Amino acid sequence: MEQQVTVAIIEDHPVVTEGVASWIRSDPGQRVRLVQTARDLTGLDTGAPSAAVVILDLELAGELVTTRIPGLVAAGYRVVAFSGHSDPAIVMETLDNGAHAYVSKEEGRDHLVEAVLAAAADRPYVTRSQARAILADQRPARPALSQQEQQALLLWFQGMSKASVGRRMSISENTVRQYISRARAKYAATGRSAASKDALLARAIEDGVIKPGEIVTYESFARAAGD
Amino acid sequence: MSGRYQRAFTIAVVFLVAVWHLGGAGGQLLHNRQAFASFAFQGAMWLVMALAIAAGSVLALRAAPSWRLAWAVAVIALAASTAAAAASPAGQMLAVNWAWGSAGWTGVLVLLRRRFTELAWFLAAEALATLGVLAWDGLHRTDLAGFLAVLAWSTGAQVAVAAGVRALDVAAGQAAAAARSEHAARERAATAAIIRAARHARWLALQESAVPLVAELAAGTADPGDAQVRNRCAVQAARLRRLLAEGDEVPGPLVHELHASADVAERRGVAVEIETAGPLPQVPGPARRVITDAAIAILTAARGQARITLAAVAAGIAVSFVADTGAVVRLPAAGEGVAIDHQQDGGMLWAEVRWNSR
Repeated sequence: MEQQVTVAIIEDHPVVTEGVASWIRSDPGQRVRLVQTARDLTGLDTGAPSAAVVILDLELAGELVTTRIPGLVAAGYRVVAFSGHSDPAIVMETLDNGAHAYVSKEEGRDHLVEAVLAAAADRPYVTRSQARAILADQRPARPALSQQEQQALLLWFQGMSKASVGRRMSISENTVRQYISRARAKYAATGRSAASKDALLARAIEDGVIKPGEIVTYESFARAAGD
Repeated sequence: MSGRYQRAFTIAVVFLVAVWHLGGAGGQLLHNRQAFASFAFQGAMWLVMALAIAAGSVLALRAAPSWRLAWAVAVIALAASTAAAAASPAGQMLAVNWAWGSAGWTGVLVLLRRRFTELAWFLAAEALATLGVLAWDGLHRTDLAGFLAVLAWSTGAQVAVAAGVRALDVAAGQAAAAARSEHAARERAATAAIIRAARHARWLALQESAVPLVAELAAGTADPGDAQVRNRCAVQAARLRRLLAEGDEVPGPLVHELHASADVAERRGVAVEIETAGPLPQVPGPARRVITDAAIAILTAARGQARITLAAVAAGIAVSFVADTGAVVRLPAAGEGVAIDHQQDGGMLWAEVRWNSR
C-alpha cells in the first residue's frame, strides 16, 4: 500500500470540518490521513509544514484569505481551496496565488479527496467550477487554449462525465483528462510565480501532459500591451 | 459625438493659426522687408515656422499628440521666433517683429488639449526669450512699455482662445452625454413596447393551451390521477412562469426564464442547478423561446437531477442540459439561428442548444 497523504483542514465552521473528515474516513482506500484541524491560519506559515496538503476554506471569520495562499505555499504546503465562493474571479485569483485546485462546497463530496491526492502528487485536478472559471476568463494575458482543450473543458463544465465527453469528442477518456490537464498546466505557467505552480508544471511535463514548447509565459505580452 | 465637436474646434484653431501666419505675420514680414539686414534669413525662419504649423496641424487633427511630438513642434517654433528676433535690427525689433505671435499660436495649436499649465509655461518661455533679445540689444524704458503692450495683446488673445476651446470641449461633452441618455431612454421605451406585445401574444397562446386544460380539470373530464394529465399540467405551469418572468425587467432575461422553468421541476422534487460562464450575449426573443422550450421538455422528463449551464461561445451562447431523463426526450425543432445537439449515455441525457448571432 502506498503511503497515506497527510492533510490539514483549515475551516472556521466545525460542522464543515466534521463533514470533510467524514469524507476522508469513508474513502475506501484510506488514502488520506487527517493530521490537523484549525480554525484560522495562525502559526501555519511558519516552521515545518505539519501536512502535505491543506484544505483551505477561502473565507475565515468573514474574511477572504486568498492572499495568504502564497505564504502557505512558501511554507511548503500544497493548497486545495474549498469554498462556497465560486465566483470565477475568486477561483482565478486562488489558482494564480498558487493553490493546486479549487473545489466548491457543492463539489466536495465527489471531488475533495481526489483533489487532495492529485495535489499531493503535484498533478492537476480540474473541478467543474474551475473549468467554469477558465471558460469565463477574459483577461488579455490569459493563456491560449486549443479548440480541443476548450471543447473538453466546456463539456466537462456542462456536466458530462469524462467518459461521455470522450464519446462526444470521439476520443478516449484518457485523452479527455489530458486536454483538461493541459489547459490547467498552461495556467500554471502564467501570472505570479509560485513553487507549487513550478512543481505542477514540471510534473505535467514529466507525465507527458504538456511539452515544454507549448508553455508560453504571457507576462511579457501583458506588459507590452499595457504600454 | 463630443469627438466630432472637438474636431471642429481643432479645425477652427488650425484655420486661425494659418490665417495669422500667412496674413498677419507674412504681411508684417513683407511690409518691413527693407528693415532687415537679411530678408532671406527672416524668410527662411518664416518658412520654418510655417512647416512647424503644418506639422502641428496634422498632429492636432490626427489625435491628441503625445507630449514629445507636441513639445518638439513648440520648441522649433520658439527657436525660429527667437532667431528671427535676434536677427532683427536693434532698437526696432518690436516694431518689425512678426514671429512672436506666430510662435505663440503654434504653441496654442499643439498644446491645445494638454494641461493648461504646459501652454502657460510655453507662452512664458516665448515672452522671456523675446525679452532676452530686447535686453541683449539694450533695453530702454520705451521698449519695455512696447513689450508689455504686445505681451498683453498677443498672449492675452492666445490664452483666451485656448480657454474658450477648453470650455467648448466641456460643453460638447455634456451635450453628447445628454443626447446619449435621450437615445437610451427612447431605446428602453421601444424595448418595453416590444415586451408588452410579446406578452400579449403569449397570453393569447395560453388561452388556447392552458385555459382548455383548466376547463377540463374543472369539468372533471381530465383526471389528475392520469400521468399524462399531470404532465400536461407541469408543462403549462412552466409556460405560465415563463410568461411572468418575461415581463420583469431583469438583466439576462434568458437566465431568468430558465430559472422560472426550473422552479416547476424543483417542485416535483428534481434538483436543478443553473450555472453561467462568461459574459452572456443578449439572445433575441424567438431564439430564446426555442431554448426555453427545450428546457421545459428536458426538465419535465428529468427524474431526480438536472444541470443547466449557459456559456459564452464564439459569436453566441451554448445552453446545455444534463439530466437523468431515462429515455430520449422529444426536443423542439431547431431554427431561429438555433442548433440543437444531444447525446444519450445510459439514463443520462446531454443536450446543447447553441444560438449564433451570425
